Amino acid sequence: MTDFSRVDLGHINLRGSAEDSRFVDGATKVLGQSLPLAANTLTQSLHRIYWLGPDEWQVVTESDRAADLVRQLEAALAGQHVAINDLSGGQVALQLTGTDVPELLARACTLDLHPSLFGVGDCAQSGLAKTNVLLGCIGETPVYEIIVRRSYSEYLLRWLRQKTHSRAGSVSS
Amino acid sequence: MLLIACPYCGERAETEFSYGGEAGIARPKDPHALSDEQWADYLFMRKNSRGMHRELWNHAQGCRRWFEVERDTVSYVIKECYEIATPATSRDNQSRAD
Ligand SMILES: [Zn+2]
Repeated sequence: MTDFSRVDLGHINLRGSAEDSRFVDGATKVLGQSLPLAANTLTQSLHRIYWLGPDEWQVVTESDRAADLVRQLEAALAGQHVAINDLSGGQVALQLTGTDVPELLARACTLDLHPSLFGVGDCAQSGLAKTNVLLGCIGETPVYEIIVRRSYSEYLLRWLRQKTHSRAGSVSS
Repeated sequence: MLLIACPYCGERAETEFSYGGEAGIARPKDPHALSDEQWADYLFMRKNSRGMHRELWNHAQGCRRWFEVERDTVSYVIKECYEIATPATSRDNQSRAD
């Protein structure tokens, strides 16, 4: 049984060089947790931080913390070659729970999501049902998070509802 | 479907990528110094190799970075994927110089 819902979270895109210790240390201090430097991984404690590329991360946090976090990052990294963008208005997070989620997603995603290959702490940007998504495994149950552009979120929710014959995840905005 | 190894994300299905044509074409430093023929050659003329081909790919649904692929245009076998302008030959030269 797959369970899914839309989750109201804050989204920040952070760019800077992973090889620049001034940037990595500055960001780590503000975020209170380390940036994942290994490809296709995420770290979770105060926030969830996804690796997007060698110089790009996605910070997912409580919705009312994002604006503050952006200000703090801007202050701490002022003058450095970085980019900090609050994407909370442009992105939507969906969370899916259940052991049959990999099979559900495999219907329209080319990633191998077998738990032995894609476990807690793994993430990937890919395509799901022709939509660009950021997908992460964030809990043992297992729990998966899908981050998608807001304008595609209703379509993706409808796709999930259709495939699971469920009325879950209704958009309440 | 091709399995392409993004130098940053690892092996992914071809559908995550978009093709960017022949690699290693440098924009002329001073376009005004070129004849129309030379400019057209830079803009439009490509090798269209039968066999090994150095080409650009973009990981459009992934990290969104450009990189290079050496691919056989007959068999479609991919020999190597690497960061832009770092084919094995130039990397070998670098390590020899080190
Ligand atoms: Zn990539």
